[in-house]
Amino acid sequence: MKSTEIPIANPVAVLREEFDDWAVLFNPDTAEAVGINPIGVVVWKQMDGRQNLDQIVAAVRERFADVPEQAGKEVSVFVDDLARRGFVGFEIEAATL
Amino acid sequence: MNVMENVRTDSSPQVMRTPRSLNIELTARCNLRCTYCYFFDNPEVDYRDLPTEDWQQFFEECGSLGIMNLTLAGGEPFMRRDLRRLLDGIVRNRMRFSILTNGGLVDDDIATFIASTGRCDYVQVSVDGASPETHDVCRGKGSFERAVAGIQNLQRHGVPVTVRMTIHRHNVDDLENGARFLLEELGLPGFSTNAAGYLGSCRYNANSVMLTLEQRQKAMQTLLELNDRYNDRISADAGPLAEARMWRQMEEARTQASPPMANRGHLTGCGCHWSNIAIRADGAIVTCTMLAHMVLGWINQDSLEEIWLRSPDLAQMRQRHLIPLTNFDSCQGCAYIGYCTGNCPGLAYTLSGQVHYPSPDACLRRFLVEGGTIPRLHAPIHAQTSRTREEVPV
Repeated sequence: MKSTEIPIANPVAVLREEFDDWAVLFNPDTAEAVGINPIGVVVWKQMDGRQNLDQIVAAVRERFADVPEQAGKEVSVFVDDLARRGFVGFEIEAATL
Repeated sequence: MNVMENVRTDSSPQVMRTPRSLNIELTARCNLRCTYCYFFDNPEVDYRDLPTEDWQQFFEECGSLGIMNLTLAGGEPFMRRDLRRLLDGIVRNRMRFSILTNGGLVDDDIATFIASTGRCDYVQVSVDGASPETHDVCRGKGSFERAVAGIQNLQRHGVPVTVRMTIHRHNVDDLENGARFLLEELGLPGFSTNAAGYLGSCRYNANSVMLTLEQRQKAMQTLLELNDRYNDRISADAGPLAEARMWRQMEEARTQASPPMANRGHLTGCGCHWSNIAIRADGAIVTCTMLAHMVLGWINQDSLEEIWLRSPDLAQMRQRHLIPLTNFDSCQGCAYIGYCTGNCPGLAYTLSGQVHYPSPDACLRRFLVEGGTIPRLHAPIHAQTSRTREEVPV
């Protein structure tokens, strides 16, 4: 099986929006909690298993003004970090017969 | 005197959108009747249980609000025959849990089940000493053996276990054995301590269980030394060890004429209401289990989120830290005022009838005036120091 580049949020993880647009991501299975900023919240909400990273970055640009050029790389690092911590998985490519 | 006078005008911390954790009294029933129980004999509480379905419905609301942890207490939570279904409900709604128990009903089966959930932060078992002599005297015959068996069942299945030791007149002379038993024989990573406090049933048994001034001083000194010996494996949020630490810090500040400490000099003794709320066994939403009379609403009838964000009583609790201790007659002229927090609002209420008031129980000046002395860390265990009333700084 080969994974796609479409991230999907772990359905067990909880997004707690606490102050303003900042939030805590909480994984009740591991008790790990990660604080995320408003951009991270938007990224998290886009990880529905239907959008790839480019589409997610586009959503960030739509939501925030003055998003820097390197935003794509930063979003990618953020998503990879969440994947390493078990908050995110990647869709598996459909098998071809 | 109006205690709301002279409140600070600086901005308060922001309130998060929902509480992070809840303290839930799952049941009003208990298999024991401990003589110092804070829970029973509160005339303002209706001791009745809710059916499984009511809790399940409430857990769904908690899950939808992103609440992370539930601490389950009672009464005795293991009295609930539906405990597995309730824990399933917590897990299903993406939360973790902790359980506070006397340990007597924790058998191998339920320990296996708790381990299998993978969501238990810890089970806290009450153990008051190293033997039935120091434990059963307040908790009932046979309770020590059953508590230890409960701990061992949990340990066998890898469930994180901690112990709370309540210090009272009958175990204060055996704290060293208690620490050795818990940390060495049972191999616990640590344990916490408090003391029998003037709440609930303890109010009727105060003269037989609560520490005298001399015992309180001895407990402070002994616990400081034991904690030093065991490399900080003994903790406390209240009671003699917490007081010893706080009072040493306050005395040091006074002798050095330090400026007032940040977040002191006001009623800052409790910040739970910024992240936590409590539910009574009958479904009443209260600010804290130790302020069980302050009913803010009812589960499954009122929105927890609405109460959290808009309850006037809760808002006032969150303003409590702005009330200066100089507002209170009992604090006038105190040399420690700039270093004091006013301590626990729950005890303040039981002792004074007022929530927004400093707790007389944890007043350092009062302790010194009555003849107490501040413990020294490297004094020999049980050393008694003397101090004349003339030396008391006021």
